[in-house]
Amino acid sequence: MARMGFQAATDEEGLGFAACDDLDYDHRQGLQMDIMKSDDMSGGDLGEGSGEGGMGGGEDGMLAGDSHYQRDGTGPPISGSKASCLGDEGKSPKITAWEAGWNVTNAIQGMFVLGLPYAILHGGYLGLFLIIFAAVVCCYTGKILIACLYEDDEDGQLVRVRDSYVDIANACCQPRFPSLGGHIVNVAQIIELVMTCILYVVVSGNLMYNSFPNLPISQKAWAIVATAALLPCAFLKNLKSVSKFSLLCTIAHFVINILVIAYCLSRARDWAWDKVKFYIDVKKFPISIGIIVFSYTSQIFLPSLEGNMQKPSEFHCMMNWTHIAACVLKGLFALVAYLTWADATKEVITDNLPSTIRAVVNIFLVAKALLSYPLPFFAAVEVLEKSFFCERERTWFPDCYGGDGRLKSWGLSLRCGLVVFTLLMAIYVPHFALLMGLTGSLTGAGLCFLLPSLFHLKLLWRKLLWHHVFFDVAIFVIGGICAISGFIHSMEGLVEAYTYGIED
Amino acid sequence: MIDRPHSGGRAEPTHLLCSAARLGDQIDIYTDASPQRNQCQLSRRKRSRCTQLRGADPEVGDACGQSDERGGGWSLSSCGGPAILARLTVTAEQEGENLSGLSNNPDKEIFVVRDNGTTCLMVEFAVRFIVPFDVLALNGIDLITENAYLALPRGADIEGKCGEQEAQISISWRDNAYTLRIYFVKETRNKGEKIWKVNKVLFVYDSSEQTHFLNPYNPGKHTASSHSLSALVTPAGRSYVCSAKQTLTLISSDHQKGVTVAMSDIQIQPFDISSDFVFSEAYKCITDQREQLEETLPLILGFILGLIIVITLAVYHFHLKLTVVNQPQLPRDRSMYKNM
Repeated sequence: MARMGFQAATDEEGLGFAACDDLDYDHRQGLQMDIMKSDDMSGGDLGEGSGEGGMGGGEDGMLAGDSHYQRDGTGPPISGSKASCLGDEGKSPKITAWEAGWNVTNAIQGMFVLGLPYAILHGGYLGLFLIIFAAVVCCYTGKILIACLYEDDEDGQLVRVRDSYVDIANACCQPRFPSLGGHIVNVAQIIELVMTCILYVVVSGNLMYNSFPNLPISQKAWAIVATAALLPCAFLKNLKSVSKFSLLCTIAHFVINILVIAYCLSRARDWAWDKVKFYIDVKKFPISIGIIVFSYTSQIFLPSLEGNMQKPSEFHCMMNWTHIAACVLKGLFALVAYLTWADATKEVITDNLPSTIRAVVNIFLVAKALLSYPLPFFAAVEVLEKSFFCERERTWFPDCYGGDGRLKSWGLSLRCGLVVFTLLMAIYVPHFALLMGLTGSLTGAGLCFLLPSLFHLKLLWRKLLWHHVFFDVAIFVIGGICAISGFIHSMEGLVEAYTYGIED
Repeated sequence: MIDRPHSGGRAEPTHLLCSAARLGDQIDIYTDASPQRNQCQLSRRKRSRCTQLRGADPEVGDACGQSDERGGGWSLSSCGGPAILARLTVTAEQEGENLSGLSNNPDKEIFVVRDNGTTCLMVEFAVRFIVPFDVLALNGIDLITENAYLALPRGADIEGKCGEQEAQISISWRDNAYTLRIYFVKETRNKGEKIWKVNKVLFVYDSSEQTHFLNPYNPGKHTASSHSLSALVTPAGRSYVCSAKQTLTLISSDHQKGVTVAMSDIQIQPFDISSDFVFSEAYKCITDQREQLEETLPLILGFILGLIIVITLAVYHFHLKLTVVNQPQLPRDRSMYKNM
């Protein structure tokens, strides 16, 4: 940017080479003074992923930062000592609110939508209510999590002082255990993200195997084929490219919804309105609770999404709209599908569909699974690189990125290694869906309900009104109950599966 | 134990029996016996008890041994003489050791037709039958079709005929209440390849037999046979092997009902048996071949994936090396212009 500014200055003003050089030199000296001054102040930075750190980057941030000046409308930009080590020189492009929306939709409208009609079968109206309630709660926890990233500075303006979930956790445990919270959150994040990636590989293998039973290709072989298709994910550089995949994924999801809903509408005459129950099936419903509640988990991605947005002020609006859309679509899908098949509703709604539609839906589901993979993979790579491969923060291993900001070849091999790791886990771990339910109820509930409310209470205690406190405590309690119930049921399911040797 | 043929011409059926003198005696049962010249190679010797004697309906384990006809008694000798391929089975009534782990299919049995002291036809399978028969309904007027489920028992009586181009084996049990007859034929196909196949299967059953048929409407002997069958096609000189289930439907003389014959764990060789009790080279059925393909495919794909990863990494590495971008050194003072 400095170079471009230099050339622009030359062209526009027609100044002599030497004079421009002087001007530029002074300008840069001046900026450097600013940087050094601000380094002494506590604090914030201009957001990760924008590639600050080092003089060039700092300047870029400063020059470009005039437009990024106002985060939440105020505050001088403070370039931080805690800069991201991902991509030193290169400045990754910021994403628009729409792209952030696609990413969030990718995270909250996942594969589990196919199990929602089964949840309504066992839960009746309570299931529908839960879909709406979970959307509201998750939207709220997402917003309070992002609120934890900001602090008031002396002028009363909100400034982004923290960068990621780990930073928030560290800030909460500050006096006594400065990094314990960060480690816990790191581990939980990595587990959740890697398990999500593995799940997508398992699901695509399973779907392809069920779509083509006549071919001699087993589920493991299909998983290997799917991984070969996912290998280009190792080259992902920034959130913008991930957002493109999320957009395609959302389109595939809409197509699936439209297909199924249209088919159900075509059988609208046979809808069984009287079958929607008020009572719940106590044995089977808790599993459905888990499916409904933990399908809205996007909080892991929110700090980095918000940090990469061009206009972070649009974040709240984006959250609202994505959660409303997800809630409406899921509720409609679940209700309509349940009304069509009533008691015959199967655990995965595609089993109820006639074979032609099922084949088409399966193809789109496979496409959706493959296109959903880049987001958690990219997030996992970011988390891993930041915790283990960042020279700046004195981690164990050297930096993955070379001096020119490009990925080193062994950094690429690590990413490929992660892809292969997800493949191996997908092939060799039996009963993966049950295992995922187990970890999901711990890490998912923790990261989505328990920790945001806890951190919000701790960090912003002084600023909270009584109803905020009430909501936070209520969410903490409800989240805890859901986590415990989900954990118990997953354990039961796993034990049963191992005892009876049930085939996956 | 093997019956030695008394006369040279007719092929005698063989019986596989426990050979101790008395019931309840401890005997040695040899599994995985394979003949080597005139020696037995015995492995996995296990102690068991004799539960059946010849004459009863024997459902016993196989043994390697030699008949000893002195005085009509039988003894189990350790080795010597023609041996048979042995597979151990377990019945629920067997005392002593539980040897079930040695055989994975308790219904499988081997049937051997011998001619002139050499084996000429070997059939090893487990067969189940589903035979429909009519039963009078409760109202006394309508006829309901019920199914009888039968299995080919062990130690059934065997008769067989071997030939150059044709062979047949006839297995009967329960005093000829049931008979299964399989006809094999050798053929030369258009392109000159020689094959053998099953061209007829016949199943005779007596629906008045009480143990399997409950209150049949028209009891009596019926024959179910195949029509223009061409199954188990194998290249000549090889044995047919299939672990998957093969199903045939025979049309019965009892109102054209369909009798289902399900054979599993098959190994059959009706022609060109080179040495006693030794199957020639196995020819796997399509289902088995497919399963083998299914198992090797992930390995091949995994190997290809590994190759792709290695090639990608190498290409990227050299791409980085070859396109090293010099860091743009922004001039700090005028003297550094010459570097730009």
